[in-house]
Amino acid sequence: MPVGYFSLILHAHLPFVRHPEYPEFLEEDWFYEAITEVYLPLIHIFQNLHERGARPRLAMNVSPPLCEMLADKLLEERYTRHLENLLELARKEEVRVREEAPDFYDAARMYVDNLGAALDLWNNKYGRNLINAFRQLQEEGVLEIITCCATHGFLPLISTKEARRAQIQIAVANYKKHFHRQPRGIWLAECAYEPGIEHLLKESGIEYFIGDSHAILYGDPRPRFGVHAPIVCPNGVAVFARDVETSQQVWSAEVGYPGNGAYREFYRDVGWDLPIEYLRPHLHKDGARRHLGLKYHRITGRTVPGDKKEPYVPNWAREKAAEDATDFVRKRIEQAYRLRDGFGGHPPFVAAPYDAELYGHWWFEGPSFIDYVFRKIHFDQNEIEAITPGDFLDARIPIQIQQPTASSWGENGYYKVWINEGNSWMYPYQHDAERKMTELADYYHHPNEIEWRILNQLARELLLAQSSDWAFQIYQGTTVQYSSRRFQSHIHRFNLLAKMIDTKEFNHDLLAEIERRDNIFAEIDYRVYRSK
Amino acid sequence: MSKKEKDLREEPQTENNENALSDEATGEVLETDPEPISSAEMLRAEEETLSAEPEIPQALGQAEMATEETGEESDEIEDPIFRELAEPKLPELPKENRARLLMQSPTRIQFYWSVKHNPFQTLQKAIGNTGSYTLVVKLVNQTNGREEIFPVEAEGSWWFNVESNSVYRAEIGFYAPNRPFVRVMFSNALETPRRNPSPRQATDADWAVTAMEFANVLDATGYSQDAFEVAMAGDDRDRAEDATRNAFSQFIGDPKGSDDLEGIPMEEIRFALLAIASGFSLEDLRGHISAALLTLLEKNADKLTPENALAALNEHFDVSMEEVEEGEEVIGEAVYGLSLVHFPRSSRKRRTSPRTLLPKGIAPELERKISPVSSLRPV
Repeated sequence: MPVGYFSLILHAHLPFVRHPEYPEFLEEDWFYEAITEVYLPLIHIFQNLHERGARPRLAMNVSPPLCEMLADKLLEERYTRHLENLLELARKEEVRVREEAPDFYDAARMYVDNLGAALDLWNNKYGRNLINAFRQLQEEGVLEIITCCATHGFLPLISTKEARRAQIQIAVANYKKHFHRQPRGIWLAECAYEPGIEHLLKESGIEYFIGDSHAILYGDPRPRFGVHAPIVCPNGVAVFARDVETSQQVWSAEVGYPGNGAYREFYRDVGWDLPIEYLRPHLHKDGARRHLGLKYHRITGRTVPGDKKEPYVPNWAREKAAEDATDFVRKRIEQAYRLRDGFGGHPPFVAAPYDAELYGHWWFEGPSFIDYVFRKIHFDQNEIEAITPGDFLDARIPIQIQQPTASSWGENGYYKVWINEGNSWMYPYQHDAERKMTELADYYHHPNEIEWRILNQLARELLLAQSSDWAFQIYQGTTVQYSSRRFQSHIHRFNLLAKMIDTKEFNHDLLAEIERRDNIFAEIDYRVYRSK
Repeated sequence: MSKKEKDLREEPQTENNENALSDEATGEVLETDPEPISSAEMLRAEEETLSAEPEIPQALGQAEMATEETGEESDEIEDPIFRELAEPKLPELPKENRARLLMQSPTRIQFYWSVKHNPFQTLQKAIGNTGSYTLVVKLVNQTNGREEIFPVEAEGSWWFNVESNSVYRAEIGFYAPNRPFVRVMFSNALETPRRNPSPRQATDADWAVTAMEFANVLDATGYSQDAFEVAMAGDDRDRAEDATRNAFSQFIGDPKGSDDLEGIPMEEIRFALLAIASGFSLEDLRGHISAALLTLLEKNADKLTPENALAALNEHFDVSMEEVEEGEEVIGEAVYGLSLVHFPRSSRKRRTSPRTLLPKGIAPELERKISPVSSLRPV
């Protein structure tokens, strides 16, 4: 038996952003950047570790909207163009930098190599289908893929039991479509929980969820091992809670690894640094500057202003990632020993959940860090064992019964980010739609073909309006206009469709256009919203 | 508090004297012509109530953007379907009965409501003379029975500072002095969570954990403030309560001062004493302690010095100056990436001596069984 268990849990999620009505769309870049910087590198690293016998083992949520985007043909084509365009710019840059700015040459060369490799992986190794790659990693025993709320809906702020249940059941159905099995665990969007949600999870066959630390620490009765062992709700659904120490080591902007001066600076980007005419072929047709993903500077120092940042040196950053991985594993071993000693010999379970997009997008060297962490866990020590929550449950180790408490992993630990003076206007609209959806689902027992399509599309519009991403970004002050507009669009479309089915004045073209745009969850069945 | 507000609070409200017009937020009320509502208090309520009208930032017009970008979209712009979808309209909310409580945090909740049909006309039909009746929102703490009443309009939203670990329900109804409360509709019940560790340990011996052991666990998890509080309270809840009451009485210099603490959780009182001893002001505590305790402290504002708080804690809990000083690193919510992940604040030093971890008077033999909080730290 190891001294302790370590469970890395990655939450890969992006809101459903797909705009077929335009030839290109700025916010679709979120998805394209994440494929290049996060998903492809992580898949490649996990596959390599597996093939070399390093036995990586972790849990990963691939959220339903992300699955749907990864499986979408339009986005697949657009991403391919995006990557080819970026590689073309990188190649152009390699030539320019060699002559004009040799200090940046190593970085420019790195982008040519990385993007070339990414295009090769995308086109050839994975056949432009990362869902298959994730599924293969699950079948090989590397990943335990868990699901998430269908559109990352913030369950405690959803007003009806039926609408909450739909977020779970639609997610499970979508998981089965993509991964051909029942999910064991779920990442509740924003780790937002309130008592009672576990009953909806159990109805859908979910065995466990991820909660924040105080979900368990403030639960009743007191947890014997704190967050360092799961608890099980009275109804049998287990909860694994976030370990604060591992969070801070990686995630804290004050003390976390990514703030080291050797790592790549996120905010200096050629999209803002180079002449607009030079960049124009690589920008959208509106010619607006944007982040392009080629960044030549390192953080240098926490207080160093943007224009004083020094050139990025890929080798230094790689070495630093290895050093930080060594430190991280050493601290996990120390943590395991001291917790085990404090627990009278009971091996602790350390759950370390992070946004997947932290690794690679925000922290460029993050995937390398994960690579080194798993190598060191496998080759350099025996004290800690990398497992998943499902593995822990399979081990049949006794688990304390406890009622967790309401919580989220967001600012201040509760719901402030998602309901506050700036975004609370959304909820009366959302809640009206939730009530209306169940009224219609209860009413239509034998809909004709067009009514069936409208009812299913109503469900899609409600689900998309419920995405916690919109309220979050409004609170953050980032992409406020887009997020407000997206919420308004889905409520607007919901209202149009509700009116259509209420009045029986069917506008087939309008329905078809809405279906074409918001095509998430082809398998959806509106009857999930029924109250009985 | 104004006299009128005081009157509103003192008016006895029981289920028996309520004349409910409708029991559900979605229930029907009689349709009548609207009756104007205006009074100084209504105006005040209007000022304090967040507007029900959404303040929605204007989004970029994608239609215009497309026109600028390419010529090929121009046909689409002319297409009525394209234009319909390109200009999403969020209508004014239709007149419906709505009454919804939403939690923001254990001490802050939001209520939004609207009444479909003019409630005054409905009231008039039901009881005749509406006289001095005012439309109000009544927030009921079902855990301790406390109620708050505020005049409102037929629709709106409001934020309330509330108590943790309580069940709330909001009601829209009619209030008049010396007349029965007439309920129009009520909201969902909302439970605010505990915001500190449970005082209860498992009954199953395999999972039972003493206060000291649990303080160790909390400390190892980074929840050092909670560890301090749990260790201070100890396992003997009666003794901890006595010590807390005595400390509070000493703090405000009134031997009977603890008589007013009915319904206020003891851990909240200890938290307030520790915070004040640490140099936090009453204003700092606003929103972090219940309105009842805040009011009580405000009444004794002249005695709220860190020295007084420390002396009371020292006398009854053996808390020393060193322990209440700012201690460890404070980790905020600033993180890399998009999520604003919550980190506990660990600004208080850990208690390091087992002798000081329980209220005075605990048996020495029990003390010896208790390991120090720092036992989980590496040697």
